[in-house]
Amino acid sequence: MHDRLMALADELAAEGESAATPCPDPVNAAMIRNWTRALGDRSGRWSEYAPPAMIQVWSMAGPDERPQPGGRSGQVGREETASPDRILSTLDEAGYVGVVATNCEHTYDRYLRLGEELSTTVIFDGVTGPKRTALGEGYFVTWYERWYSGGERVAEMLFRVLKFKPRGDAPPAPSGGRYPLRPAVGPDTRFFWDGVRAGELRIQRCAECGALRHPPGPMCPACHATKRDHVTAAGRGVVHSYVVHHHPPVPGLTPPYVVALVELEEGVRIIGDLLGCAPGDAYVGMPVELEFQRMDEELTLPQWRPAGTAPAAVEEPEHAEGEAGLRIELTPTFVISTALATRDLTPVHHDPAVARAQGSADIFLNILTTIGLVQRYVLESRPDARLAGIALRLGVPAYAGDTLTLTGRPVGDGALEVRGAVGAGDHVVATVRLKEPA
Amino acid sequence: MTISGRAAIAGIGATEFSKESGRSELRLAAEACVAALKDAGLTPSDVDGLVTFTQDTNAEIAVARELGVPELTFFSRVDYGGGAACGTVAHAAMAVATGQARTVVCYRAFNERSGQRFGQATTAMAPGTTAMEFSWHLPFGFATPAAWVAMQARRYMHDYGATSEDFGRVAVAMRRHAATNPRAWFHERPITLEEHQASRWVVEPLHLLDCCQESDGAVAIVVTGADRARDLPNPPVSITAAAQGSGPNQMMMFGYYETDLAALPAMGVVGRALWERSGLTPADVRTAILYDHFTPFVLMQLEELGFCGRGEGRDFVADGGIELDGHLPVNPNGGQLGEAYIHGMNGIAEAVRQVRGTSVNQVPDVAHVLVTAGTGVPTSGLVLSRPA
Repeated sequence: MHDRLMALADELAAEGESAATPCPDPVNAAMIRNWTRALGDRSGRWSEYAPPAMIQVWSMAGPDERPQPGGRSGQVGREETASPDRILSTLDEAGYVGVVATNCEHTYDRYLRLGEELSTTVIFDGVTGPKRTALGEGYFVTWYERWYSGGERVAEMLFRVLKFKPRGDAPPAPSGGRYPLRPAVGPDTRFFWDGVRAGELRIQRCAECGALRHPPGPMCPACHATKRDHVTAAGRGVVHSYVVHHHPPVPGLTPPYVVALVELEEGVRIIGDLLGCAPGDAYVGMPVELEFQRMDEELTLPQWRPAGTAPAAVEEPEHAEGEAGLRIELTPTFVISTALATRDLTPVHHDPAVARAQGSADIFLNILTTIGLVQRYVLESRPDARLAGIALRLGVPAYAGDTLTLTGRPVGDGALEVRGAVGAGDHVVATVRLKEPA
Repeated sequence: MTISGRAAIAGIGATEFSKESGRSELRLAAEACVAALKDAGLTPSDVDGLVTFTQDTNAEIAVARELGVPELTFFSRVDYGGGAACGTVAHAAMAVATGQARTVVCYRAFNERSGQRFGQATTAMAPGTTAMEFSWHLPFGFATPAAWVAMQARRYMHDYGATSEDFGRVAVAMRRHAATNPRAWFHERPITLEEHQASRWVVEPLHLLDCCQESDGAVAIVVTGADRARDLPNPPVSITAAAQGSGPNQMMMFGYYETDLAALPAMGVVGRALWERSGLTPADVRTAILYDHFTPFVLMQLEELGFCGRGEGRDFVADGGIELDGHLPVNPNGGQLGEAYIHGMNGIAEAVRQVRGTSVNQVPDVAHVLVTAGTGVPTSGLVLSRPA
């Protein structure tokens, strides 16, 4: 298979740019409205120009041209020449049925006006592999697409996918926006978790001999009394030891994060995350203070931050350089409606059974939406900016049920880095290039 | 009464060690048991006892059915993850010494790499006291064995000045040993300290190369009476001492709340029992099999077992101290870092080979070998000897 695949790749690459295929619809207000509504873009700015991140939507097939499962994202029908479809179907046949996009880089030559008629070409770039990846063994397939208005090139995209053999042990998807790591609570520990919800860190005290104990238990090991009450901790302590978690992925958390064993003033020790502290700044002996972190509607965790640092608002994600974050609940409706609004009918974005069969935990956000959300994030914080291009590196899938949080920071040359995190880690890291304001 | 010298290991067997065995865990268990019985010169009809880990997915009766063992008079499980390893042999030796069984096979079989991987994040536990214990840890994303060990390793570094390089010397030694062991996964793949330092963080302060590999495979050990073992084809390996141990306020890898983080109290319990029951001292041991799922705990074991003083593990492993030509060669097979992660059972097999004199990395004049099981959990240990 490998040799045949590589020969086919060479053959396709040698063909260069394909003949132009007309896009099915002109740049039009209806599709733009569907797109902005589905993605939550309430700016109302797109009455004259199309959102640049929508470029690929114009050449997507409608529902009458169903894409093949695992195939390229349902582009309009075109000649076999230069199309990566034959490479993708060869990989499907060899068992590499899983597909995830890894890179997508848009270059916008200019913004498109309503009514422009577009055509598109494709240029096959190449195949690399087999490579061992976290998802399974796979091949990376890269191609370019270009859009023209009349004879003028208006945009170009590099697109790269990983076609992989599913390993059959995909991580479970978080469900319904709930923080996935939950304590078991029983009769001997309920007082603690009730306390956390009430904003108190409670330490069990033996009602007979007064001994403090954490973690708590039903019988005092010193005097065997089963009668117990608690004291409320002052919320101050020092780091007795700590670790920085990098690997493997832990659902609900974005590495690297610091977990500390804190010795409380009251003399007991407790585990918690050290928030608001760069991994390199933690040290044994560091004074810390308590902070309650609300994880979801039901669960609050007692956490820690360096003493004297102001606690952030509970709901506020942490941002670099004060950029506001954009938080998006990835309901199944959001995932599916954005896939439809981007004309992407690849089943992994709307059919959970197909998504699981292809090695994913659930349906997940399509890349055309991810790039659209990056655009939305940038323009909400910089309404006057004009985009010159967006380059995405895709990480873990953004599954239905998760929450996507976008944050950004300037990286020089007028560019921005936008990071989109989900429970399992970075879903996307994007570099957004801006033009001088018009 | 004491069991010292009353039972012996008569046979050892194993499957290949791989990343994907391609067969069921029960089949791996059966293959290892058959190999061990063949090595012992015994047949399934000689077997009347089976012992495994609580974590093993293969019931004793299922293994008995596959082997065609007609009747069992003794079956037992040992808990607490890899801490069970030497405990299986301890239970078998007790059964043999007390007449509960004549010949007991201890086994551990799993597809730990291609199936359920212990190195991945734990998110929930079955209900019970263990779930309550984990609930003080998992919600904080403190969810992997590497993280649980790293918490102790950081404090150990703080208290005694040990460095990541000190941990790395353990990994370098194990990979050196594995390099000349054809059964080892890392056969002919030694590493340098620089490679250790350059390997990515898993959980600081642990690099990737501080963490043992994950493996598919099975190992079985045949225990029978010392008298009977003398009549079998291979030289018997005497079980001079066997011990289990749990420390104060013990938890599964979370011994953080009252005790010294820079120590392994459960291993201290095991060590004291082994020396007392065997009448030996660390100076009598030519080579040791120390459970090496994570490098820092090898240093701390050397201290708990009395091979060196508190905080001196780093000096002990310096200059190749635990390598084949060092003052105490540790894990001549390459350990779990180098040979395979079979939950400590492959280490017991290597100890048997060292006493028999048949290891590929044979240490000269081995009369006694100390073997330990999983650390950070309730654990166990053995002293195996050439019969006097």
